[in-house]
Amino acid sequence: MTAYVEECRQEWKRLGVPDLLADEMATELESDLAEAQADGVSANEILGESDPRRFAATWASERGLVAEPAPPSRKRRRWIWVAVGLALALVFVVVLGFFAATKASVHTHISGPPPQTVGLAAIPDFVGMKASQALALAANIGLRPEVRQVTRRPPTPGIVVAQTPAAATRLPRGSTVLLRVGRR
Amino acid sequence: MLRGVLDLCLLAVVFDEPAYGYEMTRRLRERGLSTVGEGSIYPLLGRLEREGLVATHRAASDGGPPRKYYRASPSGRRALAEGVRAWRAVRGEVDSVLATIEAEVA
Repeated sequence: MTAYVEECRQEWKRLGVPDLLADEMATELESDLAEAQADGVSANEILGESDPRRFAATWASERGLVAEPAPPSRKRRRWIWVAVGLALALVFVVVLGFFAATKASVHTHISGPPPQTVGLAAIPDFVGMKASQALALAANIGLRPEVRQVTRRPPTPGIVVAQTPAAATRLPRGSTVLLRVGRR
Repeated sequence: MLRGVLDLCLLAVVFDEPAYGYEMTRRLRERGLSTVGEGSIYPLLGRLEREGLVATHRAASDGGPPRKYYRASPSGRRALAEGVRAWRAVRGEVDSVLATIEAEVA
């Protein structure tokens, strides 16, 4: 079964899962498989999947450790807007020509910039996580974590006790998320 | 068949007392629920952890290596309470649909 876990590790490495978290998952899986075997439980019941790569990828992605596919590059998006702009200009010219021909007055509206809907990240609930876990998770979904130590009674050393903005808020990638972590 | 409610069952077995992954499988089995054919619990645990519905810590197990323990967090307990309410409603509706079928077959 170590071969299965080893293949999981390779897949996590390929997907860019931080070593610390890959080690954690590999250790967890290995201990559980060993105990299941001692109980006479088949590895298949534990893994539910014969393909280690698919198993590893599903687990890491459900845990939020795999970055989402990158949005289309800026260059390509700019071309899309250039094309939209040209199309609008063409429509404008045609409409203007039509009104000029009928000698009617022309009112035009200038539309605002398109809404930014790409590259947003939903903020997870970091509260209760260990600071190291929260940092890894934040980095993985493209957020910039900033840690501030706070004193809590009773002490909660190394645990995230509050966050700004709140969980489920959507922010552009690269935004800063403030994590308040209990002092030792 | 369990898809969608297995995560509720996982939260339920760590509601009172934390457990590590395999221990959770064992608790499900002790309560008569087999996870054979339901896929692995680890991706579900990963999602529960990501959503902050379980809190985790590492601790030594009885005579074994240190394990990663899971327990329902306060928001996990709330999610479980809501999920149980939803499940009971669905269970009632499904039962009443299936009951008529059973009557016809019998």
